[in-house]
Amino acid sequence: MNKKKNGVIGIIITILLLIILVFLSNTDTQKLSYVESAVSSIVMPIQNGLTYLKNKLAGNDEFFTSVATLKEENDELKQKNSELEQSLRELEIIKSENATLKEYVNLTDKYKDYTTIPAYIINKNISNYNSLFVINVGEEDGIKENMTVIADKGLVGHVVSVSKNVSKVQTIIDTASNVSSTITTSRDSIVCSGMLKEKKLKAMYIPTDANLIIGDSIETSGMGGIYPKGIHIGNIEHIVNANNVTDRYAVISPAVDFEKVETVLVIKN
Amino acid sequence: MKKILSIFISLIVFLLIFLLQSNFFNWFTIGGIKPNLFIIFVLFLGLFGGRKLGVILGVLFGLILDFLSSYQIGITAIMLGVIGYLGGYFDKNFSKESRITIIIMVIGSTLICELGIYLINSFIIGSNIFILDFIKIITIEILYNVIITIILYPILQKLGYNLEEQFKQPKILTRYY
Repeated sequence: MNKKKNGVIGIIITILLLIILVFLSNTDTQKLSYVESAVSSIVMPIQNGLTYLKNKLAGNDEFFTSVATLKEENDELKQKNSELEQSLRELEIIKSENATLKEYVNLTDKYKDYTTIPAYIINKNISNYNSLFVINVGEEDGIKENMTVIADKGLVGHVVSVSKNVSKVQTIIDTASNVSSTITTSRDSIVCSGMLKEKKLKAMYIPTDANLIIGDSIETSGMGGIYPKGIHIGNIEHIVNANNVTDRYAVISPAVDFEKVETVLVIKN
Repeated sequence: MKKILSIFISLIVFLLIFLLQSNFFNWFTIGGIKPNLFIIFVLFLGLFGGRKLGVILGVLFGLILDFLSSYQIGITAIMLGVIGYLGGYFDKNFSKESRITIIIMVIGSTLICELGIYLINSFIIGSNIFILDFIKIITIEILYNVIITIILYPILQKLGYNLEEQFKQPKILTRYY
């Protein structure tokens, strides 16, 4: 009888367990997540601390064992780095070369009618009172005296003396330089001479009936035998009126920045 | 032998000054105006090395400068020669110990040299003369030169006495014996 009872209880417990199992396995686990999170919130900090400690120890261990390999790696990387740097430098040089060549091409496109010789400025003036450039082409490259020198934006000057490999260029802002020129719109002829200060030009001998407008562009007139016709010089910056009309003059800002110009072209006539 | 060596050294110093003047002082300017170190250098050569050395080296340096960057050969040579001569003249008549006399000498020689070069240039090449601008530029240039002289004075004096030992007989002040 007792054994029978035990057997029935056993069967009931088993069935209950089965039901619970079925029930649990079929319900959404998320409904139980609060239990999980409660457990993990207790366990995880410890777990984390332990893992951290373990990693630290393991890492230290590795640090001591792998110094040699690290050094090797470091050397390798250094070598690679220097190689890369070198190639970068080469690239940089090629880049700048490319830019210069492009500049040349642009320049020559602009003044297609003239055959030109490209040149670098290798020395600027050492005195405060004159404005001379020394360029790196000379007699061997076919440079002769009185050849016109231009830059990408306009007129620079003319060659005053030539030696074997270098030549001197007198710029238009020099006080000894006088350029016969015309105002592009009204075709009035004027003379542009260099001023001592500020790297500007002074336009003199303006016809009394000429209409000057600020911003008008000035170009060479072709008279005088040195400069060819139609090369841009600059724009009128302001007009200075004197007591009588014949004495008035205009200040012209040259198109070329004489502080920064680096490459020029020499026109072969 | 030592004389040749010191002349050689002064040539090297000249080249150094040329490089400084054409590169460094093209952007290290006061209001776009450069100093003129050649004048200071030749003046000191004349002061310490005597009249003969001052004139010879002044003319030589001037000629080199003319060949390197000038329209006409000879103008800078003449003026630097004059400065060398003036250096010798100052040496006989003034003391080199005092800073103020040195500063006055630098002012005078800068003025004479630049004015001479400017005037001769404008007569020969026919450049336009802008008096006001010229006065403004030369004032700043003299100021710049004086500042540089004040800074470099101790070194220049030391080198100068070395030079003086080689190029001058020891002075015997007969008058006082």
